Amino acid sequence: MPGESALAAAPPSRLHLLADPAVLVWVILAALLFCCSLASPLFLDGENLRNVFLVQSIGLGLATLAQAIVVISGGIDLSVGAVISLLTSLAAGLYRVHPGLHPVWVALYLIALGAAAGAVNGFVVVRMKVTPFMATLATMSLFQGAVLFYAPRTIGGIPRSYRFISDGAIAGIPFSIVLFAAVLAACQLLLRKNRLGRHLYAVGADPYVAGISGIPVQRIRFLAYLIAGVLVGIAAMFMTARMGGGGPKVGVGYELDTITAVVIGGVSLAGGAGSLMGTFAGVLIIGVFYNLMNLLSVNAYLQIVLKGLVLVLAVSFYAKRRV
Amino acid sequence: MESATVLRLEGIRKGFPGVKALDGVSLEFRQGEVHALVGENGAGKSTLMKILSGVYQADEGRIFLNGAPAVFRSPHQAQLAGISIIFQEFSLIRGFDVTENVFLNREPTRFLGHLDRRTARERTRALLAEIGIELDVDRKVGELSVVQQQVVEIVKALSVTASVLIMDEPSAALTDKELKKLFEIIRTLKARGVTVIYISHMLEEIFQIADRVTVLKDGKVVGTRSASELTKDELVRMMVGRSIEDYYPPLATARGRPLLQVRGLGKRGRLWDVDLELHAGEIVGVAGMVGSGRNLLARCILGLERFERGEILVHGRRYAPRGFDDAMAAGIGYIADDRKALGILGPMTVKENATIANLPAYLSFGFLRHAREAGAARRQVERLGIRTTGIGQAVETLSGGNQQKVLLARWLLREPDIFVISEPTRGIDVGAKAEIYRILREATAAGKAILMISSELTEVIGMSDRILVMHAGRIQGTLDQRQGKASEEQILSLAVGHVYSIRQGAENHAG
Repeated sequence: MPGESALAAAPPSRLHLLADPAVLVWVILAALLFCCSLASPLFLDGENLRNVFLVQSIGLGLATLAQAIVVISGGIDLSVGAVISLLTSLAAGLYRVHPGLHPVWVALYLIALGAAAGAVNGFVVVRMKVTPFMATLATMSLFQGAVLFYAPRTIGGIPRSYRFISDGAIAGIPFSIVLFAAVLAACQLLLRKNRLGRHLYAVGADPYVAGISGIPVQRIRFLAYLIAGVLVGIAAMFMTARMGGGGPKVGVGYELDTITAVVIGGVSLAGGAGSLMGTFAGVLIIGVFYNLMNLLSVNAYLQIVLKGLVLVLAVSFYAKRRV
Repeated sequence: MESATVLRLEGIRKGFPGVKALDGVSLEFRQGEVHALVGENGAGKSTLMKILSGVYQADEGRIFLNGAPAVFRSPHQAQLAGISIIFQEFSLIRGFDVTENVFLNREPTRFLGHLDRRTARERTRALLAEIGIELDVDRKVGELSVVQQQVVEIVKALSVTASVLIMDEPSAALTDKELKKLFEIIRTLKARGVTVIYISHMLEEIFQIADRVTVLKDGKVVGTRSASELTKDELVRMMVGRSIEDYYPPLATARGRPLLQVRGLGKRGRLWDVDLELHAGEIVGVAGMVGSGRNLLARCILGLERFERGEILVHGRRYAPRGFDDAMAAGIGYIADDRKALGILGPMTVKENATIANLPAYLSFGFLRHAREAGAARRQVERLGIRTTGIGQAVETLSGGNQQKVLLARWLLREPDIFVISEPTRGIDVGAKAEIYRILREATAAGKAILMISSELTEVIGMSDRILVMHAGRIQGTLDQRQGKASEEQILSLAVGHVYSIRQGAENHAG
């Protein structure tokens, strides 16, 4: 039988389970949770856990899904935070003018605006041929400037009906969890089970190979930003409800937090590799980490210093492993 | 038995800035044949294949596929028409598994793009079975051996029912055993009526696998012959063809004192007892296959790699370089084989590229004297005949030959006594080649010595006063060309490890 000698000889890879970042990151999360429960008795308090997992992590989680899809396709999005700020302000502004509006319309309005912002990013990257880092650095300024121009201060007045998105429950399960689970499942389906998802990975892994295989590389890049825009719209939709308003500071720091979560979750900043389950764990690690710092009353400015440190360590950790 | 013509090329022309890569190529490929395409580096083989597979478009000429004119604007289009090219590892995504690579962009789907992974796997398995290979379709391509990756490429091509399969140097990274396997697969494909276009430097392989052979030279077809009616000598003559005499400058008439002496150089498992003397005024060529140690030898001399045994003397003084800066300080200059990656500073100007290795000469009190620098650069441009719009032109916009001349200018300005040059004319057109040979000879006439590592046998023969042929980390033989020119066969037989002439006895005892 041909095919045995030269070809079948290579041994199966004996990759340790922990070598898979998607597994490793959950182990790290578990260890972190354990440390937290030791470090502060307040951590396991029901109200605190609710705060960590429902309030803090869901907005960041939705925005991070957007970041993950862009990064997997080989790009980056520095404008997520600015877009979220802009969208929450626009939502609050809309309610000012039409207080009686049904929440569904506002939600759809935000998703559409998010998609539009994503399309702007995609256009700058794909059609104007600006590298993703520079393009979204510029659009970050564009969107942040726009929100400050539109409303320099926080606008409140989001009605009770709309705040169902963050505070409501369906059959005892918080709606925010249902929302996040549904979005996560949809993204997972897209990336793992769909042709488009496969192409997102392929374009991120090797745009040249993707191109000579006939994949429309530029269109896929554009779609990555468009999909990310929709997800950022959903994140803004949640944040508007959670904050009960909108303002220029709602999304501050999200560009860094989403990138950190994505990196901790094992997504390669070079594109083409990484999983959403890992990313999800990365989000939770960040949420728990911030919570811990708050419980230990770490100075707010020092927290920003530590954030930077975590990002450097995470990137360096994966950089070493890839060699 | 005459089979139908599958693919016909008519008057294909293609030029690049400064080079005429293809100059009116007409060719026919028959159904179910293995058609070898041979020629020296720069003969146009790769360009021709890239045109056939849609990577490049021809400037002139037509392609007929099964009798109908065809235009391929992209590799994907060519693939859909039935022409697939197997590059060396370039068209697979390493992080994807076998199935995902085979069906990249042709993934079977159900609804809304939902992947039908089971069908994809089954079809991949079936294709593998057809060519008699067992391979785990869920393995990541990055974990596979080179020949396994080639199998994936072949299966990928077959999955779109390829009628023409182009293999560009498929054997370059294969062991003998793997090569045999590859030949088995090729024969299976042939039996299925697939036309295989096989590009290789290895003449042995060609006689083993090819039905017909086409020789390309300087962008033109020298001829197409049936492999069974062709001898190796004839094939070599077709490939070399030109009269070497009017191409290369005359050899050195005298040789001066030794500038570089290498004695018993060794590195465990890779380099053994290498002795070498390089005298002022001479060019010593180092030939050998990839992996023979010829590059390692150069890297040891340049301080880019440590050696474990032996010694090197420069100007009779012991020299133990710990890095390339030591080599430079000792008066050694280096022009690497990969011009783009290791030579030119692409976006920087001709002037800056020429003077970068010799900047201290243009400084006064730590400040760069631009006039002095520009003057030096301008003199080199003139002397070497570098064709540029001016010394302010970015080097990456020059042709390969002129880029190489800029690198020569860089080292001529620094005036090292010893040059190590690897593949001095790789990818350079014929006219510029002759000029580079002239420049090298002028340097040795001025008392410099050159160690030239080259894969091009005609170049080694044409330029070297002496030729060292390496095999498996040793110098297998030395051919002194002042006592008559060596032949390609002589070099090749040493390079593949045959022991030759008077050294035979000694080698047998040693081995």
